[in-house]
Amino acid sequence: MDAVDVSEHYEVTAADNSPSLLSIVLDTNPRAWAALDSSLSLAQAISNILVFVNAHLAFSNTNQVAVIAAHVNRAVWLYPTPQSPSATTATKDHSGDVQMQDVPAETNAPSNSANKYPQFAQIESSVFSSIQTLMAETTVQDLDQVTTQLSGALTLALCRINKAAQALSSSDTTISNAAPVNSTAPPPVKGRIVVISVSDSEPSQYIPTMNAVFAAAHNQVAIDTISLAGDSTFLQQACFNTNGIFLKASNPKGLLTYLMFGLIPDTEARGDLITPTHDTVDFRTACFCHGKVVDTGFVCSVCLSIFCEPPENAECLTCGTVLALGNYGAKPAVMPRKKKKKKKITNGSGREETGSATGTPKP
Amino acid sequence: MSINPSLHLAEYLERLPGTTFKKLYQQPSTTFAIFRRMLPHLAKTFVMRMLFLPHPMTLTDLDTWVKPEAKRKKDQSLSILRSLHIVQISAPSKEKPQEIQLMSNFKKSLRLALTGGGNHNSFGVPSSLLVPPEIDLAFLDRYARKKWEDVLHFVVSSVGYKSSLGDGSGPNKGVKELLIAGRLVDRRPNGSLGITQAGFTFLLQEANAQVWTLLLLWLEVLGNNKSSGLDPVDMLSFLFMLASLELGRAYDTNALTEERRNMLPSLVDFGLIYIPQHKRSMFFPTRLATTLTSGGNSLRTISEGVTAATQSAQTSQQSLGPLGGGGGEQAGSVVIETNYRLYAYTQSALQIAVLALFAKLNMRFPDMVAGRLSRASIRQAINFGITADQIISYLAAHAHEQMHRTAALTNKPVLPPTVVDQIRLWQLENERMKTTSGFLFRDFTDDKDYLDTARFSEEIGVLVWKNDHARMFFANKHEQIKDFLKTRKRAE
Repeated sequence: MDAVDVSEHYEVTAADNSPSLLSIVLDTNPRAWAALDSSLSLAQAISNILVFVNAHLAFSNTNQVAVIAAHVNRAVWLYPTPQSPSATTATKDHSGDVQMQDVPAETNAPSNSANKYPQFAQIESSVFSSIQTLMAETTVQDLDQVTTQLSGALTLALCRINKAAQALSSSDTTISNAAPVNSTAPPPVKGRIVVISVSDSEPSQYIPTMNAVFAAAHNQVAIDTISLAGDSTFLQQACFNTNGIFLKASNPKGLLTYLMFGLIPDTEARGDLITPTHDTVDFRTACFCHGKVVDTGFVCSVCLSIFCEPPENAECLTCGTVLALGNYGAKPAVMPRKKKKKKKITNGSGREETGSATGTPKP
Repeated sequence: MSINPSLHLAEYLERLPGTTFKKLYQQPSTTFAIFRRMLPHLAKTFVMRMLFLPHPMTLTDLDTWVKPEAKRKKDQSLSILRSLHIVQISAPSKEKPQEIQLMSNFKKSLRLALTGGGNHNSFGVPSSLLVPPEIDLAFLDRYARKKWEDVLHFVVSSVGYKSSLGDGSGPNKGVKELLIAGRLVDRRPNGSLGITQAGFTFLLQEANAQVWTLLLLWLEVLGNNKSSGLDPVDMLSFLFMLASLELGRAYDTNALTEERRNMLPSLVDFGLIYIPQHKRSMFFPTRLATTLTSGGNSLRTISEGVTAATQSAQTSQQSLGPLGGGGGEQAGSVVIETNYRLYAYTQSALQIAVLALFAKLNMRFPDMVAGRLSRASIRQAINFGITADQIISYLAAHAHEQMHRTAALTNKPVLPPTVVDQIRLWQLENERMKTTSGFLFRDFTDDKDYLDTARFSEEIGVLVWKNDHARMFFANKHEQIKDFLKTRKRAE
C-alpha cells in the first residue's frame, strides 16, 4: 500500500547531457617556444594537445572544440579554420549551394585512413596546416615583440562559445529576449577555455584581458590555464575570477599528463571532483599610465583608475577629476599604547576566562 | 510481466561474460563507442585520468579525487566500470592496499583510438569509387526516416489505427518476423496482429533507444539460431563500428569480413545503411547508424544546433542546408499545458496515432492536432498496457522546443508537475502494488556483517528495501554483493 504516495513530486527535467564546448588558446610565441625547445618542442606540444582534444570529443558526440593561436601580433583560428573569401566564392555556385567536390585535396587525404576516427583526423590536419601557414607568415619584424597578444584570442574564444550558446538556446531570439532572463538558470552549453601559456603577461594588455575575463565570469565560462614557462600574472587572476584551474607545469615534458589529469574534467564533472587549487594568486594589476605591473599604487577616488605615481597636476588621466593627495608620504605618528586597566574579575565569569588556544568555532 | 523483450543495451552488456568484453575491446572503435555511450560522466572522467597512468593506483587515492558529497556517484561509476570490465580492482589484503587500474585491452584500444595509428582498420575503409551525385545528406536522412517510420507504422497499425498515408510498402518480411519473434507484436488467434505491452514500450521510446531495442532483438534471435553462423560478439562490434563512421561518406564493402557482409542486407532493412542499386560494393551509413553512440535522441535538434552554430566558421567542406530540416519535424512538437490540454504541431500520421493512444484528440488542423489528457483517456491507455512512466517519458522526449526554452528560463521542469503527478495518480488508482524482482539477503551472522553488506549494496545503488531490526535486505542485483561477501570472507 505504500506505493500510494501523493506527497512525492515527480519531476521531469531536461536531459543534462548538454554539450560541452572547449576552446583551447595556444600561446605560439616563437621566442618562448625556442627557449622551451630542449624540454618540449612546439610540435610535440601540439600532438599532446590534439590527444587532449580527442579525449574531450570522446566524451560525447555533442561536444565541440576550437583551437586558437595567440601569436605575437594577432590571434588566429587553428580549428575550425575560417573560409577564406576567395575559396568561398569559388565553391559557391549561383544558387548558393556549396559544392562538395571542391574540397582542397590536402584536407581530405588524411581522413581516408581507416585507423582514425574521421573527426579526429580532420582536426589534426586542420591544426597542422594552419600552424604551418601561421609560422610561414611570421616575419622577422614580428619577432621584435616579446610577449603574446592574449586578449584577442580570449575574446575570439568567448565569441564562439556565446554564438554556440545562443544558437542552442533558441532558434528565434525574439521570444527569449522578451522573457525575463533568469541568471541562475544554467547556461545551455558548458563552455570553458584552456590557455596554454608560455610567456609573461603583457602589462599593456591588462584592461582588454580583464574585460574578457569578466565577460567569461558573467557567462559562467571557466578559464583554465596551464603555464609552461613565464610569469602569467593576469591568467592567474583570470582563473581565480572564473573558478578555473591554474596549473604551473614545473616539468613541461609531461604536458599530456597535466592536461589529461588536471584539465579533463569539464564544468559538470568539477561539481563532484576536488580540483587542483593554487594557493597564492598574484593579484597585482597594471597601472593605467605606463602599463607597469604594480604592487602599490594610487587609485582615483572617482573612477578607480590605477596609477603608479601621482599623475601630473594631480588630475586623473581617465576622468579628469582634480585629486588631492592628502598627507601622502608623511610618517605615521607613533602613539603610545594606552595602558590597559586591569579589571577585577567578579564571580569568575569574565571574558578573559574563556581565552583558550583554539579560536571560536565557526558554523 | 512475464516477458520483457525490450532489452536495454546496458543490461545486455552486463550479462556478457568477461571474455566477450576482452574480444570487444580489441577493436579501438568498439572501445571508443562503449566509452562514449555506456558510461556516466564521472566515470568517463575517471577513465580519462587513468588512461595515461603507467602504474595502478590505490583506491584511497581515487577517494581523494572526489568531493565527499559525491561519494555515492563515485561508487556507482565504479560499479558500472567494473560491470563492463573496464577497470580491475585488486582483492583486498593485509599487506597491500587495494589498487585500481584499467584493463590492459581497454587501455590499449582507447589510447589507439585517441592517438590514431595502428593498423586495425576499425574506423571503416572508405570506398574509392565515385559517389553518385544524388546521394547527399538530405537523401540519406529521407531514406532512413522512411525506413524507420515503416517499422513504426507496422507496430502502430496493428492496434487498428490505420495510417492515412496509404499502405506503402511496409517493412521487409524479415523485419516483420523479427518484430513478431521479439514479441513487440503478437499474432492473435484470429490471425490478425496485435501490439503487446513491450510494443508500446518500444513505440514510446526515443528513436535512438528504439534502434537499439530492435538491434538487440536481432542479436538475440541470431544468437539463438546457431545455424546462421554469425557471432553475436562480432556483430555487436560491427554495430559499434558503424556508429563511428562519418555520415555522408561511402565505405567499401569489400574491406569487411564475410560475416559482416552478410549482415548488410538486414541493416539495409532497418534503414541503418544505404546501398546504391547499381553499386553494390559501397555502403553509406545513415544518421540512425552514426548516432548509435549518442546518448540522446538521434533526431533531436540539440546536436544539430551545435553543429549548425559552430560549423558556420568551419572549413568549406560541409554544407548544412539540408540538415536543418533533418530533425525538425519529428522531434519536439508536443506542447502540454497545466490544464491538461495538449497541442502537437505535427503532420505525421504516426505521431498522431501514438498520441491518440493516451489522449483524447478533438481537433485536427493542417499542421496541428489539439486534444486533452483525461482520466478516461489515460485509463484506456493503461488498459492497453501502457504505463504512466511511458507516457511521461514520451511527452518529455517529444516536448516542444518552446517548452524546453521556458523551462530553462524559469528553471522549472519541462513538463508541468501537476500533469505528471496526475498521470501517475490515475495509474495508481488501479495499480497499488509494484513488483521488483531481486534477491533477499538474510540470516547474517552478526550485526556488523549485516550493516556492512547493506551499506555496500546501498552505495552501489542496488538496495531496494531493508529492515535493520530483522537483519535482512532486498537488492535487485546480487553479483557484486556476492563478490563483496567473498572478498570479505577471504580477508578474515
